[in-house]
Amino acid sequence: MAFARSDGRISADHVPVKLVIAGPFGVGKTTIVNALSEIEPLNTEEVLTQAGTLVDDLTGVNEKTTTTTAIDFGRLTLPGVVLYLFGAPGQTRFQVLWDELVRGALGVLVLADTRRIDDSFAVLDLVENAGIRYAVAVNHFPDSPQYPSDALRKALDLDPRTPLLVCDARDPVSARASLIALVEHIRELVLS
Amino acid sequence: MSSGRQRRRVVPDYMAAARVSVPEHITVERTTLVYVAPDVVADGLDPPASHLLTLLADGPLSVYECAAHLGLPYCVVRLLVAGLAAGGTLLTRDPPPADLPDLEILELVISGLRAL
Ligand SMILES: Nc1nc2c(ncn2[C@@H]2O[C@H](COP(=O)(O)OP(=O)(O)OP(=O)(O)O)[C@@H](O)[C@H]2O)c(=O)[nH]1
Ligand SMILES: [Mg+2]
Repeated sequence: MAFARSDGRISADHVPVKLVIAGPFGVGKTTIVNALSEIEPLNTEEVLTQAGTLVDDLTGVNEKTTTTTAIDFGRLTLPGVVLYLFGAPGQTRFQVLWDELVRGALGVLVLADTRRIDDSFAVLDLVENAGIRYAVAVNHFPDSPQYPSDALRKALDLDPRTPLLVCDARDPVSARASLIALVEHIRELVLS
Repeated sequence: MSSGRQRRRVVPDYMAAARVSVPEHITVERTTLVYVAPDVVADGLDPPASHLLTLLADGPLSVYECAAHLGLPYCVVRLLVAGLAAGGTLLTRDPPPADLPDLEILELVISGLRAL
């Protein structure tokens, strides 16, 4: 049955909290959302016009000129809060979708790949332009070159306070540590 | 990520035919939690609305999850939820504003993640 579900752990007292995972093509966004999520990957679609704007009403939704984009989506229920994780496509042609996904988000975890550092620039620009709090996690692949963190910070032009972590997107413990670092950073910014 | 020219209809015919009444001011968004109001009589609802109520019988879900479970795009389910919430069938809990996050919520997230 299409709408069967196996859980029932969220209550109306839970506060929904949105977190966004961003990064360039193939960096591990889908992998980390699935590693973190307590629910099976769900396939939800966003409908965009060819001009790249979001379709937000029923008129036009069946037009031939619309395309759909599947969004990575995961959930983590904690005492008192339910985290919703959204994987955001990094390409600037999805600017409108990006704006929508980060609206109301607590923060963004930016995934980077040291084999293709330059690919992260567009995503970091999106994050900075959105004025949203973020941390950077380098997703380590077997053939990833290892750079000292100073060199990476310089290459990515990071603020000294922005957390820079190394993670394995497939490992839930490592993925959670990255989220914790992000939220601790946000707490520091709020307190300062 | 899959994208491409859409061949099939995004909204199935039963949905397009449903009388979705949409309130003027919609606050519903992707992570809004949705649940069924107490003592709701589900008779006489259109198929998408009654599917949604069946789905929510076990407890609240976000609008995005509802969309995934119903197999409908978010933009459609958002309107469906907004209409049913305006009519009193569904209750919603909006996410808190994120510009100045509540410290208490941040602590809950940190301690919750650490405890996993
Ligand atoms: N060795 C290694 N492989 C990884 C890691 N994370 C992801 N992968 C692999 O890298 C590939 C790409 O990962 P995805 O999670 O699909 O990347 P994505 O960012 O969702 O990619 P797009 O949606 O296409 O932009 C997959 O084959 C993963 O299995 C990692 O930490 N280590
Ligand atoms: Mg992906």
